[in-house]
Amino acid sequence: MQTRELFSQFSPFAFGMFYLIVIAAIAAFVAGLARHLLRYRRGRPAGVPVDWRGGLRRMLDDVVTHRTLSRRDPYAGTAHKLIFFGFATLFIGTSTITLEYDIVKPLTGLTFWKGWFYLGFSLVMDIAGLMLIAGLVMMIARRAWFGLAKLDYVRRYRGDTAPLPRATAWKIEDWIFLVTLLLIALSGFLQEAVRLIVERPPLSDLSPAGAALGRLLSGLGLDAAGAAAVRRANWWVHGVLALAFIAGVTWTKGKHMVAAFGSLAVRDSRSVARLPDVAEGEPVGVTRMDDFSWRDLLHFDACTKCGRCHDACPARGSNYPLSPRDVILDLRLLAQAGDSAADPHQVIPPETLWACLGCGACAEICPVGIEQPVKILKMRRALVDRGEMDPTLRGVLETVANVGNSFGEPARKRGAWTRELSFPVKDARREPVEALWFVGDFASFDPRSQTISRLVARLFNAGGLDFGILFDSERTAGNDIRRVGEEGLFEALLSHNGAQMAQSSFDWIVTTDPHSLNTLRNEYGGAVRDRKVLHYTNVLADWLESGRLKVTKPLGKRVTYHDPCHLGRLNKEYDAPRRVLRAIGCELVEMPRSRDNSFCCGAGGGRIWTPDPPGVEKPSHGRMHEAAALENIDIFVTCCPKDLTMFEDARKASGHEGDFLVADIAELVAEAVELRAIPASYLPELANRIAESPAEKVIARGVPELVQALAGQSGRLLAAPPAPPAEGSTTPAPHPRTADAEPSVAGGWSVVPVAPALIADYDRPARTGVRVLVAVKHVGKLGDEFRFRPDGLDVMPEDLDHQLNEFDETAIEAALQLVEGLGAGEVVAVTIGPEEAEPSLRKALAKGAHRGVRVWSEAASPADPIAVAALLAGVALQEAADLVLTGVQSSDFANGATAAALGGVLGWSHAAVVVEMQWDGRGRLDITRELEGGVRHRQSRRARGVWWSGRGPRGPRCPARRVRREAGGSPGGEAAGGATGGGAPGRRVAAMDRPPAGQASMLEGSAAEVAARIAAIVRERKGG
Amino acid sequence: MGGILVLAEHLRGNLSPQTGEVIGLARELKVTVGGPLVVAVIADDPVRYHADLALDGVDEVLAVEAGAHFDPAVYEEAAYRLALAEKPRLVMLGHSVNGMGFGPALAVRLGGSFVSDAFGIESDGGRLLALRGGYGNKVVTKIDITDPCVTTLMLRGGSGKPPPSGSAPLRIVPLDLQPAAAHTAEHKGYVDPPPADVDITRAEFILSVGRGIQDEKNIERFRALAERLGAAFGCSRPIADSGWLPKAHQVGLSGKVAQNCKLYVALGISGAVQHLHGMKHVETIIAINADRNAQIYTVATYGAAIDVFEFADALEREFN
Repeated sequence: MQTRELFSQFSPFAFGMFYLIVIAAIAAFVAGLARHLLRYRRGRPAGVPVDWRGGLRRMLDDVVTHRTLSRRDPYAGTAHKLIFFGFATLFIGTSTITLEYDIVKPLTGLTFWKGWFYLGFSLVMDIAGLMLIAGLVMMIARRAWFGLAKLDYVRRYRGDTAPLPRATAWKIEDWIFLVTLLLIALSGFLQEAVRLIVERPPLSDLSPAGAALGRLLSGLGLDAAGAAAVRRANWWVHGVLALAFIAGVTWTKGKHMVAAFGSLAVRDSRSVARLPDVAEGEPVGVTRMDDFSWRDLLHFDACTKCGRCHDACPARGSNYPLSPRDVILDLRLLAQAGDSAADPHQVIPPETLWACLGCGACAEICPVGIEQPVKILKMRRALVDRGEMDPTLRGVLETVANVGNSFGEPARKRGAWTRELSFPVKDARREPVEALWFVGDFASFDPRSQTISRLVARLFNAGGLDFGILFDSERTAGNDIRRVGEEGLFEALLSHNGAQMAQSSFDWIVTTDPHSLNTLRNEYGGAVRDRKVLHYTNVLADWLESGRLKVTKPLGKRVTYHDPCHLGRLNKEYDAPRRVLRAIGCELVEMPRSRDNSFCCGAGGGRIWTPDPPGVEKPSHGRMHEAAALENIDIFVTCCPKDLTMFEDARKASGHEGDFLVADIAELVAEAVELRAIPASYLPELANRIAESPAEKVIARGVPELVQALAGQSGRLLAAPPAPPAEGSTTPAPHPRTADAEPSVAGGWSVVPVAPALIADYDRPARTGVRVLVAVKHVGKLGDEFRFRPDGLDVMPEDLDHQLNEFDETAIEAALQLVEGLGAGEVVAVTIGPEEAEPSLRKALAKGAHRGVRVWSEAASPADPIAVAALLAGVALQEAADLVLTGVQSSDFANGATAAALGGVLGWSHAAVVVEMQWDGRGRLDITRELEGGVRHRQSRRARGVWWSGRGPRGPRCPARRVRREAGGSPGGEAAGGATGGGAPGRRVAAMDRPPAGQASMLEGSAAEVAARIAAIVRERKGG
Repeated sequence: MGGILVLAEHLRGNLSPQTGEVIGLARELKVTVGGPLVVAVIADDPVRYHADLALDGVDEVLAVEAGAHFDPAVYEEAAYRLALAEKPRLVMLGHSVNGMGFGPALAVRLGGSFVSDAFGIESDGGRLLALRGGYGNKVVTKIDITDPCVTTLMLRGGSGKPPPSGSAPLRIVPLDLQPAAAHTAEHKGYVDPPPADVDITRAEFILSVGRGIQDEKNIERFRALAERLGAAFGCSRPIADSGWLPKAHQVGLSGKVAQNCKLYVALGISGAVQHLHGMKHVETIIAINADRNAQIYTVATYGAAIDVFEFADALEREFN
């Protein structure tokens, strides 16, 4: 039967040599593979569920269809298919021969590689070889002549004009790879050709390519003897090249072939929509290479440097200092250097990490499933943990932590947008509803988005939907907080919102905000309890198609639609908005980059909160140019509040103000269904609501004057009630250090020193070193609008927003530094206040205090520094503290007295406005206090004392809120029960009033107009 | 018994201007509270301050010999002893860094009532009310100090006018300050702030920036704007505290008072009371702050609630 003789005319030595080389090549391959696998094992666990069976099946499907490669680049897809299937077939072919020659024949004596099988085999091999060569030529042409910017590896977004040395090495490696494969293929055909010349088998072994080449060579003058010589030499060339290639696969660029299989098998298609949690016991962010998970390390190796992510990235496209590919490649280099303790932040600068928009375009298009945004996030978590971020971003995180929204508005105003509606919006906290509308920050507070919220509410109302909102119990869902890397704050938000939802009764959730939708649906887990989270376009699409909302005025406009990243690409929802547009009679012209290829507006990943680096054109501007190029578009349609904000600004700033409008889809729907203005039947209710508000103001103003008039008759009327003993305490009644001492009548003048408070049932743990107390205060902050209490002695409690006194943060920081400097010790945060003060105590713990203590006495007012000092003194004595630190004053009442008073009550040393402090733990304490005008006074003091920090040079460091599980010590610590007062007479507030109002002449107009007027004033005043 | 005891403050041989202000207010209160008005000075050479403290309305100047430098324990003990001897109705001192260092501790030992950072005293029917701020100075709080036999008052800078010179006898009071010895501070020296190229107290035209400029990187562009306008470059406290500008540029209670300024432009400054202390007297004040409710507008002549950066750009163009 027809077959081919292997190793014809091979000496035993040559034969043995060959097999040695084979074994060496295989060993090299395996060694390289093992080296990588061992490195992956040093990484952390995956952090996401890995479905091996499903993944393998999907991977095989991806490989067979090559869909990940053909997407958006059919040329490369085709070329790669040719190469891949050509190579695979040839490889299978050689393996088949080996199977018979080295295994089946020696063991069983059977042969199958002969006859028709052999001929068919040879034909297939020839075709495969041709495919391989064709694909390689296509790729070589692409690299040499297509001029693709991403293939020269120049980091233009960083201002480079030439490739880095390592990039030049990559390019050389790329060419070697292609050329080597080509040589292998060509030498294979050459081998076949000369064999055919020498042996002349029947039908030329059904190898048309080889035969053709053979005829060509013969025609060029190669005779049988020459062919035999070539055959002997070329055999080795081909063999060694091929084996060297295989050996080198796991050591060079070729490793992507192996790693890609792995990464496709473990691919997580929701990697950007559902970010990994921080597991128990794991570091919060990545500061060492082995903090990455094994999947991350595998991803680094799988990167083929194809540059699709580089092209797709909106940040890179706008010249931000970020290219996802370069991040992966730089991390890969560091990983391969082998040092697991190496810090990835050394190779990836912070501005690169902060430039990411979290849009997922890179992860979406990556042919091998590398999840670039996850690596960036993990590194961001480390930056946030260290407090290294733009001050504006830090401010936003503080604001969100304090008031639950990024606008800095009091929570109380969250539902304010509903007031202008003609119907009441249900409070989902009080009544069951069908749909819980999770509104989100922008839709609640941004004026433009508020109008959309009102429209949507009216649409819901017109469609008869039973919906409600959480009003001021809602806080930002935290999607972007999480993407910025502040995991602790995200968990706090999740926990709060989850609790609110648990207490409400609803069937499903609807939202106009894709960011909220994403995190509620994918990251809130049990808090949402399997209920559906829908975007309002889903609801509107159903209603418009079913007739629940009737389209009475089809718009007939030519529109284009922008797929929001978090709704489209991340959650794969593209159709509902398009169904809506169709239903309302709009002609939709798709953006060139739409659906999964939609181009981010630039607000995600926390970037809406950070200033842009200089010299970039915002992604939103580029998008506007793209839309304008579509020609004759009437409206650019969005369905996300951030998109609306970004594109409204961009439309004007990029010069397209006259080209088209930007509108939210709700506005179009409202027009199409001719949503009515306020119907007359609603008027009485509306009128009532307007009338109610002045009444409150009248009461608040009138009473203080009234109260003062009353008080004039008897000074005692407004005295604070005497301090009752703590409930349930077993301490004896306090020594009558008379609180209300005998009034100064009949010439009696006496001193009534204040003593420390007696605190019942104080449970104090043993000491482990120095114990530093930090007194912190839960301060109230007033917004612009507030009312006074009816008794005129204070403001209405609801008008106050509370937070930890910012000056105390410096004190906490100083205490921590002191204790860290001494090596051992404990920082105990103490607050005097009711239960409502505990959040500030928790914040102090999150900033690093080891324990928290709260003490309260009904008679004490937190605004009375003497009473607070007496209570703090009680705590300091019980705790046997070494030092007490406090902030220089509280931001609400700024008494600037508590600490010195505390020193006085205890009889300890004290000093104010200390900007530097040095203590070795035993001897005296060296302090520097700052006087007026900046003069500093250095003193050496007895250590045991009360020291108040002035603000240090750089303001307080802001460590991230520690992930709750990691916060040392139980939050809240002990809440010692009531304390009995120490003789303080109590501070008597007679009245509280507004300060006299200002009289500035306010100038209106644009910046240019105002500047012109001011410039005139300046010139006049200067010249005069 | 009765009357007012004022505690003087000094630094390196100079009397603090605040002492004069406290005496001024105390003088007005003599009408309601009754005399005598006694001023005490604690120093190593207290007699040298006699002439400066013998202002109109002062009945006696008490001199206590102690250390040359401020020591809270010494001041507290001395003031306590003096109070026991004089039995005043009011003890008054300035709400300054030194004042904060011992005033509250003194109040604790005396008992009675205590008000810090007060900017006025009102007499209303039979009541005596001390005025101070509240909630970041968004409200005015009136504390009733009618009853106790002694009240310790710390007065905010700029709340009184020093009276003209007068005459008052000097009495040297020997005091046993031994009880304070356990807590004595060991003086280690003074560190002057580095010399600066700006003298806020002399400048006639000042352009100041506050937290509204958001980032340290923006300092240069505003400095350039100030230069272009021919103004001295000033700032509010948070800017100096964060190290964005040397302390010498700070306008305010703990910075410098712009005594000779005729034109003051405040950019991105909210107008905290302490800052206002340094500039509210200026004839023409222009304030730019995007927050329409910022306190700065209570003292400004002209204001505009627009974006500070847009304004700065536009103003620069005007002066090009």
